Amino acid sequence: MRVLSPLGATPDTVKPLAKRPPSLTGLRIGVLDNSKPNADVLLARVAELLAARAGGVTIRSWTKPGSSRPAMMIDEIASSVDVLLTGSAD
Amino acid sequence: MEARGIPAVVLGTDAFLSLARAQSAKHGLPHLSVALVSHPIGGVDPAIVRGKAESIVDEVLTALTSDPTPPARLAAGAGAAVDEVPDDLDAFQAWAMAERWSDGLPVLPPTPGRVDRILGGRASRRHDVVATLAPLDGAATLEAIAINAALAGAAPEHLPVILAAVRALAEPRFNLNAIQTTTHPCTPLVIVNGPIAGRLGISGGPNALGNGHRANAVIGRAVRLICQNVGGARPGLEDRATLGHPGKFSYCLAENETASPWGPLHVDRGFDAATSCVTVCGAEAPHNVNDHASTTPEAMLMALAGTAATTGSNNVYLGGEPLVILGPEHAQTLALTGWSKAEVKRHLWELIRIRLDRFSAENLARFATIDPAAFANRPGDAEIPWCASPEDLMIIVAGGPGKHSSLVPTFGATRSVTVAIEA
Repeated sequence: MRVLSPLGATPDTVKPLAKRPPSLTGLRIGVLDNSKPNADVLLARVAELLAARAGGVTIRSWTKPGSSRPAMMIDEIASSVDVLLTGSAD
Repeated sequence: MEARGIPAVVLGTDAFLSLARAQSAKHGLPHLSVALVSHPIGGVDPAIVRGKAESIVDEVLTALTSDPTPPARLAAGAGAAVDEVPDDLDAFQAWAMAERWSDGLPVLPPTPGRVDRILGGRASRRHDVVATLAPLDGAATLEAIAINAALAGAAPEHLPVILAAVRALAEPRFNLNAIQTTTHPCTPLVIVNGPIAGRLGISGGPNALGNGHRANAVIGRAVRLICQNVGGARPGLEDRATLGHPGKFSYCLAENETASPWGPLHVDRGFDAATSCVTVCGAEAPHNVNDHASTTPEAMLMALAGTAATTGSNNVYLGGEPLVILGPEHAQTLALTGWSKAEVKRHLWELIRIRLDRFSAENLARFATIDPAAFANRPGDAEIPWCASPEDLMIIVAGGPGKHSSLVPTFGATRSVTVAIEA
């Protein structure tokens, strides 16, 4: 028997990732907290540990208004940081 | 961020990798860096979470400072490919389960002939895209919708209702991406208003939310299979529901307009009574309210309000539009002295109050970051309502004889959407 697939066609494009810097020394690290419980703790600690290894970095954080809502401050973040840490999960 | 030249790393937990991967692939970044710690990070001591950070810092540093290899171009999504499957129905069901096409119950084979029958006069437009559905941005073409309707056991006459529901799900204010991927149990509840409900036998009467009504069963099931198969929310993978609820098999009813003392939901929302409509809500399971004794409107409100005023629903801190499904006899009692539906909403909303000292300190601290006006720096005897305003309470009348109503909290970060059904 022949049947039709119920799956939806999904986008199949692959975009390039941003060019990586050779090291984080002297760079601005951004942290976008998805506002899930303890996401701020995990993200802040990872940023702190990265800063300890790289030296001369600055850390700036933003918080999404809710994990289930899109971040509204994308433009501001993009113009204020060199690399970004963010979260997804519980 | 990557598109703007900012290297990014997503921190997640191992339990949620499938969802993180699906989201990044949808945005054309299947190779986005994801660093995983062991699940969970929420609801545990912050010191433990800081310890988990140590385990991934090297990986994060590498991901931010060395260029990743771009993956090969992905295979295009299936999109109505034809598969050769076993003729035997039990063997077909096993095959459908292995392909993750089914919801667990038997599905009917979506043969080209059955799909064409469901499409009817729409067959020539089968590739028209009705909506793009989250989380994978799957293309809900007329054909993809009809194929899932065929799987669900729907008949051709059910298709217009299913199509309207799909258009409603895709409205941004419904927030389908979050509804499909959250750990919360929510799923779309489909409410049908107008003359089509009677024509198709969509029940708003006895056991309307239960079993025994083909139209309710297959319409709700088709919508759910479309969410799973076209949107791409496979249980336990992209659909991260901790428990889910039985309405995730099928969740559809009509309003019992003839038994209601008030105008129907779609008329409240600006449609003509004669226009058939679908409303979708991102809904929890219904919770019963039993009141066999109250004889006045004021008395009837008490059990409804007492059942609604609980501390564990999303609505208490995210707002949204919780739904009250009034059994016809409860509705008649509430209307006994002439209260309009708006007046019932106002009286009920004013009575549903939850004291802050009923919440844990940890929950209060969390909710205060999301809704400071309601939760931050207030005394324990301060009270909050169930939702932001009386207008945000949704009320419909449904069910048969008896002294029961149902409360349906929602996902919170979602608005219900009503659309007209196109013939």
